[in-house]
Amino acid sequence: MTSPHLRLVPQPEPAPFYAAAEKIYPREISGRFTRLREIAVVVLLGLFYGVAWLRWDGHQALLFDLPARKFHIFALTLWPQDFLYLTLLLIIAALSLFFVTALAGRLWCGYACPQTVWTELFVWIEQWTEGKRSRRMKLDRGPWTAEKVLRKSVKQFLWVALAAWTGFTFVGYFTPIRSLGSGIVSLSLGPWSTFWIFLYGLATYGNAGFLREQVCKYMCPYARFQSAMFDKDTLIISYDEARGEPRGPRRRGTVARTAGLGDCIDCTLCVQVCPTGIDIRQGLQYECIACGACIDACDEVMDRMGSARGLIRYTTEHALHARTTHVVRPRMVVYASLLALASGALCYSLFTRMPLILDVIRDRNALYREVRGERIENAYSLKVINLDDKPHAYRLAVSGMPGLELTAPAGPITVASGSVSNIPARLEAPATAASGVHPIVLTLTALDAPRIEVHEKTRFIGPAS
Amino acid sequence: MSSSPPEPTEPERRGWAVDVGLVLWPSFLASCAASLLFFAAVDPALLRDAGPRLFADLDREAGYALGFIFFWVVGAIASTLSVYLIRTERSRARAPGPRLP
Repeated sequence: MTSPHLRLVPQPEPAPFYAAAEKIYPREISGRFTRLREIAVVVLLGLFYGVAWLRWDGHQALLFDLPARKFHIFALTLWPQDFLYLTLLLIIAALSLFFVTALAGRLWCGYACPQTVWTELFVWIEQWTEGKRSRRMKLDRGPWTAEKVLRKSVKQFLWVALAAWTGFTFVGYFTPIRSLGSGIVSLSLGPWSTFWIFLYGLATYGNAGFLREQVCKYMCPYARFQSAMFDKDTLIISYDEARGEPRGPRRRGTVARTAGLGDCIDCTLCVQVCPTGIDIRQGLQYECIACGACIDACDEVMDRMGSARGLIRYTTEHALHARTTHVVRPRMVVYASLLALASGALCYSLFTRMPLILDVIRDRNALYREVRGERIENAYSLKVINLDDKPHAYRLAVSGMPGLELTAPAGPITVASGSVSNIPARLEAPATAASGVHPIVLTLTALDAPRIEVHEKTRFIGPAS
Repeated sequence: MSSSPPEPTEPERRGWAVDVGLVLWPSFLASCAASLLFFAAVDPALLRDAGPRLFADLDREAGYALGFIFFWVVGAIASTLSVYLIRTERSRARAPGPRLP
C-alpha cells in the first residue's frame, strides 16, 4: 500500500498526530456511524448494568455464583460438571469473532469491545465537564485556575464513581448482587469482594480514562492477529486515494479536477476525530479500530464542499481496485461451517442434558457374600448427583440377570438440588444362578419426571463354578 | 506508507513503564485462563484438606482470589524472565521502548 507524500498543512491546533505516547484529544463528531456506536454503547452498557438486577424464578437471572460453584443462566443451572458448555460457548465466541472479522473487518473493535464502549462513556463525561476538543487542549495547557481545578475534580469524581459502580456490577455477576449491595451499605463486605471490586474498578478507570487507545495499540492481542482473518474481500475503512489525490486546500466552488486537485481538501478532520490518532489516508493500519469516525467527519466535509460522500468509506480492497467483492469465499465457508458445528453441538448437548449423574463403585472389601445359605449378595456404593435446580426422589432398578433383586436401599432415594448423595446398595441373586461374573445395569429414574433417567453398567460376581 | 514523516522514536522514559506492562498484562490474561481451567476442575474448598496448615481458614472466595493471584505471580515471573532476556540481549540492549520482534 503506497500513498503519495503527506503534506502537513499548518494546523489551527498544534496537535502531535503521530506521537503514540502523546495524549490524544479525539474531536467530537456526529454522523451515521457515530450514531450507531452511541446506540451500541447505550444498549451494551444498559445490558451490563441492568441484567445484574434481573430476577428469574427466585434467583438472580444471570449469576456465575462462584461461592456456591453453580452458574445460573436464566432457566438453566450449570455445575462444574457442565464445564463442556462453557468450553463450547468460548469456542463459539471465538469463531463468531473470526467470522465477523473476515466478513466485515473490526466491527468488534469499533462497536462492541468493552474497551471502546467504556472509553466512549468516559470521553462523554470528559466532554461534558471539560468541553470540546480545543477547550480541553487549552485547559490542559493553561495554568491551574479555579475553573480548571473544578472541571478536573468533577471529571475525576464522575470517573471514579462510574468505575466503582462498574466494579460493583462486575462482581455482582459472581456473587449475588443484592447481598453484595447490602454488604456495602452495612460496611460488612468480605475482604475478597472488596478486593475484586477495587481491582475491576481500577482497571475500568485506568483503561477507559487513562490508557484508552494505548490498550488497543500495545495491549490487545486481537489487534495484532486480526489481520490474519483479512483478505481482499473484507470490509475495511479506506480512503479512496484515486479520488482524493492530489489533496490540497481550495476555495469553495473550485472544480477540483480543473484545478488539478483531487477531492481531499486536506482539512485533517479525519485525523482529529480519530480515537487512536492515525491518518487513515496512509492506508490500512493495525491501530485502526474501524470506528467510522473519520467517515462521518469526511462525509460532512464532502457535503459542505458539494462533492459526493464516500471519499473515506467502508469498502473492500477489491472494490477499491474496481474488482468484484465476493462475500462467499472458502474462508467464509470454513468459518461458517465450524461455527454451525460448534453451535449445533452446544444446542444438542443442552437439549439432551441429563441433570442426573450416577456413579457405581463395587465394594472393595468382598467380592460377594453368602446370605441365608442359598443366596449371593454383592455390595456397591452409589454416588447420586442431582444437577437439576429442584430436589428429586429417584427409584433404583436393576436388570441384566435372572433372579437379581435389590435389597437396599429399600425406598426411593431423595437428593436435594445440586447435591451429592452417597448411598450403600446391596443386590441379591439365587446362588444357583449367580456363579461367575454377570454384567448388570443399574437404572435410576426420577419419580416425578421419568425423562430424567440414567443407566450405569456394573458387574455382579458370584462364586466360581 | 514509506514517505510519510518518520514517527518520532519512542521516548526513553517509556522504557520501564512498558516493561511493567509487558510483565503484568500477559500474565494477567494467562492467570484468567489458568484460574478458569483450574477452578472448573478443583473446588477451592478442597484445598483446605490438602494443606491444613497452609489453608486452615480458607473459604471459597479466598481460595479463588489466592489461586488467581498465585497464577498471576507465576505468569509474571515467566514474563519478567522473558523481558529480562530480551532487554539484556546484546543486539537489543540499547534499544529503548517496546520494540520487540
